[in-house]
Amino acid sequence: MQSNQYSVKIYETKIDNEAKFMAFFDANHTLFKDHLIVIQGKMSDMIKQYLDQKSLKYLHNITLPKGRTRKALEEELRSEKVDNVISQQIAEAKLAKLSTQLQNNLTVMDEMIRSGRELNIEGDLLLLNRVNSGATINTLGNLIITKVVEGAIRCHGNFMMLTASPKANIIFHGVEVDNKLLEDRLNRVELKNNEIIITPVLTKEINWA
Amino acid sequence: MGIVIAVISGKGGVGKTTAAANLGLGIAQNGKTCALVDFDIGQRNLDMILGLENRVVYDMVQVMDGEATIKQALIKSKVSENLSFLAASQTKDKSVLNSEKVKTLIASLKANFDFVILDSPAGIESGYEHTIEFADAAIVIVNPEVSSIRDADRAIGILDSKSNKVKNGEEVAKYLIINRIVADMVQSGEMLRSEDILEILNIKLLGKVPEDKGVIDASNQGKPVILDKKSIAGQAYTRIAGRLCGEKVDMKDIEISDSGLFKKIAGMFK
Repeated sequence: MQSNQYSVKIYETKIDNEAKFMAFFDANHTLFKDHLIVIQGKMSDMIKQYLDQKSLKYLHNITLPKGRTRKALEEELRSEKVDNVISQQIAEAKLAKLSTQLQNNLTVMDEMIRSGRELNIEGDLLLLNRVNSGATINTLGNLIITKVVEGAIRCHGNFMMLTASPKANIIFHGVEVDNKLLEDRLNRVELKNNEIIITPVLTKEINWA
Repeated sequence: MGIVIAVISGKGGVGKTTAAANLGLGIAQNGKTCALVDFDIGQRNLDMILGLENRVVYDMVQVMDGEATIKQALIKSKVSENLSFLAASQTKDKSVLNSEKVKTLIASLKANFDFVILDSPAGIESGYEHTIEFADAAIVIVNPEVSSIRDADRAIGILDSKSNKVKNGEEVAKYLIINRIVADMVQSGEMLRSEDILEILNIKLLGKVPEDKGVIDASNQGKPVILDKKSIAGQAYTRIAGRLCGEKVDMKDIEISDSGLFKKIAGMFK
């Protein structure tokens, strides 16, 4: 079997007003020409024709896979059907592993993450130093970084806390976080009802002394 | 017992070889003995910059293979008795190096010289790894631009994980030289400021070298720019060599240009 895997940018939208929709895509054609358009809800033949004519690729009414929080994962594991002793043991072991990941698995680091380094952390990570351009951090748990990030971050925890980092590439549960939204000294990024919410935690530099 | 310093940068073309040649001469002028070793096997340049290209008989690979003794292969500089040069092989490639051979070579140089300076190849491949493997310290050369900084950061990361000293639980001393600074461009924000570079790389600053047109001509003629007392880059290398030899030389702020601040103040009194 031969297969290819792609990472595609998706623009998801719902059509309320067809004229407005077309005007928007006319204006932003260059921006969306490499995106996959997902249209939820009703879609008329006119819109189909319009998209074909603009040679935009689209899908209609599909549910997109989204990253899950660990809480959801835990609940799913709990609800798995247990029909015999062995599978019950497996399910319990999985749950135990998950709960250690949740509670006792904090890594604290105070070293610069230099370019080219890749950190893969199963639990939570508290990093008290910079992440330089060209470095990558993957965490399954929560992530707190107290200094500027210029590298790439992939986080699958319940939340992230980051400083304003205009050069960073931040992906939270598979969704790219616009780093312009990280405006303050420390910002909390979390997932609530499949929506990424960013709240400022600290607006000024703390003077510890 | 001498000290082994690797001159590294990650990115090519930032001035590693020029810096190595100038620092070698500078150290020699300070009265210490110094061996300059070109580790860029297959792309030897240092002999040309030192003006010794027609004197190379034996190279480093022949010494490591036992075809020549180290005494036969070392070339004395025309300018200073204290400076010796060991050429890289131009015909072989980096695959001829191995840890044992490099270790023996460096140990014998270390026993005979106060300073051993290794000019590393660009990139982070095996040739680079062999250069840093047995180094006691590293001098990182960067230009004030983002690509150079990122590559240097990567090179430092490899130094911190693959050097022999680190494997024995010690630390490799790392020093930074910012090369080719144009004061006007720093002032106008087009070039990175040295404070920003230091924040990203987080190593000690050894010196700053301004952009100087004389460097190219000096390299072409085989007379390193440090010999030209009027050259601003040459003066910067003299200061850095002094610091390496343990003198206390204050940092000169070359990022404030004469044409900028000074002229503005002078202009007020006209």
